[in-house]
Formats: sequence, structure tokens, C-alpha cells
Amino acid sequence: MKYSGYKGKVLAINLTTKKTNTIDVTDEFARKYIGGNGFAVRYLFDMVDPRMDAFDVTNVVAMMTGPFQGINLPTAGKYYMATKSPLTNGYFDSVSGGFIGAQIKYAGYDGFLITGKADKPTYLFVEDGKVEFRSAERLWGKLTGETQEMIKEEVGDPDLCVSAIGPAGENLVRYACVITEYRAAGRGGVGAVLGSKKLKAIAVRGSGTNEVADPEAYEAWMQWYKEEAKKVPGIAVGLPTYGTPALVASIGKMLGAMGSYNHQTEFFQNWENISGERLKKEFWDKDTACPACPIACSKVFSAKSGKWKGAISEGPEYETIYSLGSMCGIDDLGAIIKGDSLCDEWGMDTVTYGVMLSFLMEAYEKGLITKENTDGVEFKFGNDDAMIAYIEKTAKREGIGNLMAEGSLRAARIIGGGSERFAIQVKGLEIPGHSARALRGMALGYSTATRGGSHHDPRPTGEYAGASDRKAVEGKAAWVIGTQQMTTIGDSLVNCHFLERLLGFTLTQKWVDMINPVTGFGYTLEELTTVAERILDLERAFNVRTGIRRKDDTLPRRFLEEPIPEGPSQGMYTDEPTLNKMLDDFYALKGWDPKTGVPTREKLVRMGLEDVADCLNKSGISC
Amino acid sequence: MSVVVAQEKKPLIRFDIKKCAFCKICELSCSKYHYKKFGDSISRITIIRKGPLMFKCHICTRCEKRFCITACPTKALSYKGGNIVVDPKLCNSCGDCVKACPFHGIKLHPETKLPIICDLCDGDPSCVKDCPKGALTLVWLPEVRK
Repeated sequence: MKYSGYKGKVLAINLTTKKTNTIDVTDEFARKYIGGNGFAVRYLFDMVDPRMDAFDVTNVVAMMTGPFQGINLPTAGKYYMATKSPLTNGYFDSVSGGFIGAQIKYAGYDGFLITGKADKPTYLFVEDGKVEFRSAERLWGKLTGETQEMIKEEVGDPDLCVSAIGPAGENLVRYACVITEYRAAGRGGVGAVLGSKKLKAIAVRGSGTNEVADPEAYEAWMQWYKEEAKKVPGIAVGLPTYGTPALVASIGKMLGAMGSYNHQTEFFQNWENISGERLKKEFWDKDTACPACPIACSKVFSAKSGKWKGAISEGPEYETIYSLGSMCGIDDLGAIIKGDSLCDEWGMDTVTYGVMLSFLMEAYEKGLITKENTDGVEFKFGNDDAMIAYIEKTAKREGIGNLMAEGSLRAARIIGGGSERFAIQVKGLEIPGHSARALRGMALGYSTATRGGSHHDPRPTGEYAGASDRKAVEGKAAWVIGTQQMTTIGDSLVNCHFLERLLGFTLTQKWVDMINPVTGFGYTLEELTTVAERILDLERAFNVRTGIRRKDDTLPRRFLEEPIPEGPSQGMYTDEPTLNKMLDDFYALKGWDPKTGVPTREKLVRMGLEDVADCLNKSGISC
Repeated sequence: MSVVVAQEKKPLIRFDIKKCAFCKICELSCSKYHYKKFGDSISRITIIRKGPLMFKCHICTRCEKRFCITACPTKALSYKGGNIVVDPKLCNSCGDCVKACPFHGIKLHPETKLPIICDLCDGDPSCVKDCPKGALTLVWLPEVRK
């Protein structure tokens, strides 16, 4: 290939026929879609009928890399997964730390497309150009840690990279994740789709290398990074010292915007008990990092005393402290550490699990469900024993765990009684710990995000930092579009969004200056922005084919009607007329139809996606 | 019993398990320095993780026993200036040195099939220089010989 950072081929792996074939990655394709997110959405749009069930044999799981995997660019030690989600029914991607992304490159590929369904539990072992379909029958039912260890032992390689699902994925828990080492491709149920394909794990070992286009310019950029990163407090001090739990004080206390008790409030009185400072002081064991990352924001924490003494986990991150902690009314960090590690081991997303549980706790306290439904357990806020016990029960779909495995939107529809109003989700995806009421951008961001309630489509960081006024309505659509473009490029490269603090919350020349030395694209900012819009329009087109329209771009009723009741952000929320105004602005700027939210043909053609417009027309959708 | 017979110093890249974050930047720095490419298969240092807190560093320790030199059937390995040196003309790529090293400090280069062993990057090890956590340090210890 003309460009660097690529191996020029993607491997399609068919689990039904146990055959593989390679798909060439052309220079034009690489430049148009970059990698990761861009590659995956193009392949999935072409290969998957979005109207089919996510667990149908025809669904495809993309495991992708971008040009950054395998080199030492800070935060590039990641890999990217995408599929049609069993939780949202839409296009869904999940990015995780893990050296397996580099290994895919070293093995000679830019990514894998996993199709079909194995007849028996299987794991894949890819070693350079060779693919083995190995039996996973003795691994079926095993936790993610043990699965990885058993595969490393079987292959005889203690440094082997393995991505595995847990029992939650096997049992089609709709928010089952994929675990590599101790990090998760957490959200949206990629693990459940792998489970439906009876694929327990993917192990990759490559003996090749990856290189950059312009080593001198790259080295200069690395020096620039080292100098500039020192000046960014979040990257230089906050994340290395405390990791993301530092946000408990800034979001929970200072801003009063950390959802608590299923968002009945956003000010958690006992915030100090679950703060990053306390975690560091009393629970910290060591810093850990995703590969190639000098920031090392990840930490191993363990409970040295108390009820949950002995609990140990890499994590929890801020989102998990929110979901298992403040949302469930639990202020014991030992319990949160225990819950974090159990969710990883059983293989499910901590955010959705915690928000799902807090929803049930509110339903229980409102009398919509009773002890008869909950196997006799008191589902009251603050019940840490229930929070811990129901991780395994959800993974096994036992008792009410079977309902919890469905996610809060489906659960609300089953429970009824108006409970959908307080199911904290958008498009079926539970909202993480960044307030849709205290941050105007997140209200619009969650509403319009491809994935729904995700803080990695739009980003809250710029509003926290004051780069965009968190209360403003005017100009918010442009801001949200900008952050969504930035995350899309980040997910295509594939690197960590935490670089936003250094390179810009929206796309800037600094992003361009990082990409060109590696790839040799010679992008301008304008071309890079077009790539981002192309990818976002393709995601939207995929979702439009599943039936998503403007009516679905909204928030839980609670957020549209109930102001934050107390604390520093008291009174804040975005009502329906305000959201509608921002949506009008958003569609106008995007070039999407203001009535339907479908990308216009004119816009699609301008993005080089005429075939996508034709495809929508063929499906009976006017654009 | 060991007796110090020569006061020459020998180098050691010391690994601090408490500080290591498992970022593998050392591996990428090593391969970049030696081959101007990135890849763990051509890195002379490898960090292994087993469990949340158990990390291991695989690298040549310049051990007293020189298991690799003893194991080499073609006498391709020798100890010079603090490093194990490979004579490519004598090496038959049998891999016996790899198997003999209890510290897992030797790999065969995937293309040349020659043993690759830490050579301290001409005295200024790039793994030490680039480790963001200060987990690797170059120290000099007294050479101990029986």
C-alpha cells in the first residue's frame, strides 16, 4: 500500500463453514474510512441486513484496528469492535484497551470480520497468516480471567493476547462485554453477539511489525507530545494520580451532576466515601496502563478491610463508581470494587448493569415490583449484597436476573406502570455518569448519538472544562457535532479520547498533525472533517434502516420534565421545546431531513456515499 | 561458594514490579531502536502479566552461569563487554540458547532466525529511557566469578 499503518487486508472468518477469505484494503478505502470505526461501519453497512435480529446468524462482528495499532503513539494500545447491538438494535461499537490490536497488525491484518455461527463452542487462534478454529467446550461457562489463562496455557504462550466473553455473553445477556486482560469492550452487547455465534474467545499472535510513513516527522510529533502533555493538568497529574475516579469530586461534588438513586437526584450526599482521593489513599495497589500509554490512568484497587476485604480489581473507573455506587445508593468502595471485578469476570457492562439495577430499585420502592418478583430479595437502594449477588444471577439469567439481562428499556416495557419514564436510557442504552440535565451538550449529544446513551459519541469533557458553556442552547448543535466528529476520528485511528484535552475537543489542526506522519495521507482539516461526517452519516444510514427516526432522538421523560432537585446544578434540565430547537439546528447543520432525521441524498452524495442513498431508496426510505 | 575474582562491573536492567504499569512501551522502544520498526517479536525485553499484580520482566540478566553460551552447540555465543554477542557466521538458529535461558531473555528474530539479546543500546538503553513510570533502571553490579 501507498499509505503506512496498514497491512492491506482484512480477514473474513466464517464460523459456519470454518473458512476464511481476505478482503483487500485499498489506498482509496483507507483514505476514505481510516480504519476502526470507519472500516467497520462500511463493512457492516454492506454486509448486515439491519432489520434482522442481532442474534441472527447473519449478524457480523467486526474486530478492527486503525493505523495507530502496534506503534508507540500514546494511547494507541487499543482495539475496536462493532456489531448490530442486541441492546439498541442499531450500529454499535465498543473500544477497549489491549495489546491484541497491535497483535492483529503484527499478524498481518487490519482487522477481522466474524460471520456465521459455530455449531459447537469455539475459540479462534490466529497466528500470523494461519487461523485455527479450536474447541472451546472445556472453556464454556468459565469466567473471563480463567478463560484467558487456559488459552494461554493451551497455546503455551504466557504473553498471548486473548479477548474473551464470560458466561453473560454465552447466555445472551444483552449488555455482555468482551474482556482483554482486565479491560472491557464494555457497552452494547458485542459479547452477547459473540456468544450467539458460540465464539468464546479470539487469541492473536503475530511476528510482524508496524511502521510509520515519516519517521522523522513522527519523532518530532512524539517530542511535541511529551512537552505539551506536561502542560495539560488532566493528562499530567489528574489521570496518572487518581485515574477517572478523580471525577467523583469534580462532577459529583463541585457540579452536583453525578446521577444518584436512579437520577432521583444528582447530588450524592456521601460523595466523599466514593471519591477518587479516598480510593487512592485507602485502596490503591498500583498503576496500570493500556499498551503504549504513558498516562497509565488505570489502577488496581483492593479492599484492605471492611465487609468486602480481599476484593480486588483493575478499576473501578468513574462510570462504575456512578453505576454501581451513587446510582444504587451504595457508598462502600469495597462493594464497588467487588462488583467491578465480578462484572468483568462474568462478562458484562458495569454501566448498564448498575443503571439497570438502580431502575429496578426505584421500581421496587414504588411498589411496581415486589418481593414475589425478586426471589424474596429487598431491592432497596443501598443494598450492596443484592448488587453483588445479582451479577452472577444476571449472567446466568436466574430469577429476576433473567429480566435484568434484557436491559432497562425492555424491562420497563415488561414491568409497565409508567416505569419507562425513569428508565435511564436512550435508544435502549443506559446513560453513563455525565449528566444530560447539567450539561446541555449531553442532552443533545445522547439524543442524537448513534449508540444512544454513550459518553463516547458526544463528549462531556469540553463542557466540564468550560470550552462550551454548559447552559447555552445557541451554538450547541455545532459543538455537539464537533465532539461527535472528534470521537469518530479517534475511534477510527483507534486511540483514546483522553487525547482530546491535548488535541482539541473537536477536530483541529493538531489532530491532522498527529495523523499525517503515521499514515502519509497528507490530510487537510477539511478532508479529515469530511471523513468524520462520512462515517457518522453511514452509522445514521445503518440505524435509519432499523427504523430510527427523529422521534427516537430524545431523552428519558424524567430528564425532559424533572429539573435536578438539589445541589450546585439545582433546577437545570432541558425541556422538550428546548431539545427540539437544538435538534432542528443539529439536523440543519448535518444536512439531515429536519422532519425525519434521515440524511438527505444531497448530503450523502457530497460525502461520496451515493450508493448509500440508493440503498436507502431501495429499502423504501426517501432521502 | 562464589568468590569475587574480578572487580569488573556488569550491567543489569533492574525491574521494579511495583512501578511497572504493563504499558509495553519498553518493548516498542526496543524494537524501534534496533530495527526502526515496532513489534514485540523483535523486542529484546518482554513484560508478562499474570494476575492483577504479578508482572514479570523477561530480559538478559548477564547471569553468572551463561546458560546460553554453554548450551550453544556451535559456539556462536560469547560474553563481551557486558553483553552476550552472537556470531551470525557460526549460529545455526537451532534455538537451544532460547530454551536454555531460565530468564527468557533470548528470542529468535522471526526473519533472520538469529538470537536477539539485550545489548544495552550502546550503553543508553532505550527501554530505560522511555519507561514512563521509571520501572526500569540500568545498574552496574560487581562481576562475580567462581
